[in-house]
Amino acid sequence: MSSLSEVRRNLRKRSEQHLRLAVLSELGRGQPSTVEPYKPKGGRLWSALFVALYRRVPWSAKEKAMGALGMTAQGWKAPERRPGEPWRPPPELAEKASAAQAQAQAKHGDS
Amino acid sequence: MERVVVIGGGGAGTAAATITKRLNPALKVSVFTEFSDIAYSPCGIPFVHGREIEKFEDLFLSTVQRYEEDGLDMRRETVVTDIDLARRTITTKNQPEGFDQLILCTGFFWEQPDVPGANLDGLHYVKDIRKSMEFDKQLESMKRIVVVGAGPVGVEMAGGLARRGLQVDLVDEGPWVLHEILDPDVAKPVHDSLQARGVTLHLGTKVESFEGDSDGHVRAVTTSGGVLECDAVVTGLHKVPNTKLAEIAGLKLGTTGAVVVDDHMRTSAPGVWAAGDVVEIPHGLNMIPIVGLTGAHAYAQGRVAAVNITGGDLAYDPVWVPWGMVAGDYTIGGFSMGENLAKSIGIPYVLAKGVGITKARYYPGAEKTFVKLLAEPDTLRLIGGVIHGGEGVKERCDFLAFAAKRGATLHDLAYMENIYSPPIGALFEPIQIAAQNGLAEQRSKRLAVAT
Repeated sequence: MSSLSEVRRNLRKRSEQHLRLAVLSELGRGQPSTVEPYKPKGGRLWSALFVALYRRVPWSAKEKAMGALGMTAQGWKAPERRPGEPWRPPPELAEKASAAQAQAQAKHGDS
Repeated sequence: MERVVVIGGGGAGTAAATITKRLNPALKVSVFTEFSDIAYSPCGIPFVHGREIEKFEDLFLSTVQRYEEDGLDMRRETVVTDIDLARRTITTKNQPEGFDQLILCTGFFWEQPDVPGANLDGLHYVKDIRKSMEFDKQLESMKRIVVVGAGPVGVEMAGGLARRGLQVDLVDEGPWVLHEILDPDVAKPVHDSLQARGVTLHLGTKVESFEGDSDGHVRAVTTSGGVLECDAVVTGLHKVPNTKLAEIAGLKLGTTGAVVVDDHMRTSAPGVWAAGDVVEIPHGLNMIPIVGLTGAHAYAQGRVAAVNITGGDLAYDPVWVPWGMVAGDYTIGGFSMGENLAKSIGIPYVLAKGVGITKARYYPGAEKTFVKLLAEPDTLRLIGGVIHGGEGVKERCDFLAFAAKRGATLHDLAYMENIYSPPIGALFEPIQIAAQNGLAEQRSKRLAVAT
């Protein structure tokens, strides 16, 4: 594994670990049948600085940063999600369908 | 004859091999697996241990003979030790075997506890059916089991072993069981159900070491909360993608450590495909790659690889991860993410919560079902949810995952059509109730701001 991908992997692992730990404590507080999570020693810098800083950044900026850092998937189409619109077939199928429809119309026109 | 080599005989591997052969019978399709069995459901293993399923043989979906009759070249108990992409060969038993197309379905292994004593005998990992059969026989003479890790398999094993009458201690560092997927407002019914079966919970507790006897067999687990004596340990930590061969082949790995594929299941090397637990797949909401999906996902990915290898053009969608399980006797599920994960990542959301019933209120056996939906604050598009209690959790989670993938909003769900038939559905669908409540709350918030 290249060092860059190892850095990305470790960055993701550590950041997820500390973000999760912070949320577990907050969400669980006051909920019946829950306890405080076990907190490993060390990682104070992550929990004090990284978690606080991460939370201040708006989601849209985080999304952009994740993309720029190569933390999001490449070679995949972004999901079709336009609220309020009726369901449509994926674009490539839609093209095929309209081509087939045009062909059928042309044939119908010839006869 | 062109040859397709599939490495791995799990869900992805068997799907990829059988469908490739079915779509193009002229291809020679060889399946290499290090195990003696293929085509069984490892997900069913906890329920055999728990005596809910009579025998392990019931978990087999098909026979090796059947695959051979279908024309597959089955190479069981054959470990692939090397892949040479330049020569287009794999190595087994020190002999090279050629391929034209390669499908890597090497699955996962369980994360080992990183503490002293983790190599003792008596630590059991739920994966290989033969080892589970052997473990099941040993359980006959055992009394006390420690389960390490309250993830899905740990919870199922703990519930199953307790049902069988064993004394079970479930240990996890988290503040409630299944804390990586489940929100804390569901902790109580889940804990109550496990405890009713006899499981003792040790949450917020770290495993520090495993202690063995003079024969090297585990006899106790030392935790941050004390020592737990035991006859065996079941470990259920995280799934780790088995990328050993992928690394040998020099395939690109992603931020999860799994193999990177595109939406056609192509890896970074031409003519090499991968599917199942060895690959990472983007989450449909944010395109962040994830691992640890289900057997159903693995099978579907194997199918996509097969279609594309045989000249088709089929894309696998980013996932919205419907999930569900029974914890003790309590049904829980969800899709995409709950509050726990949304808050961790920092995705803004509003909540829509409701309680409905699984049958008409007057019909015997009607139970409460709790629905919590997460939606984007501005558009009210669905981004996740958690459902628990009663029948129909699985179906609701499947439906909601699909609805979210297609961009459904709380408005759509609030006015959805539903079946009203007393034995199977109430007048008001629980999802509808939650969405209606969510809309009402948003309206009242807007009114409060306006006044």
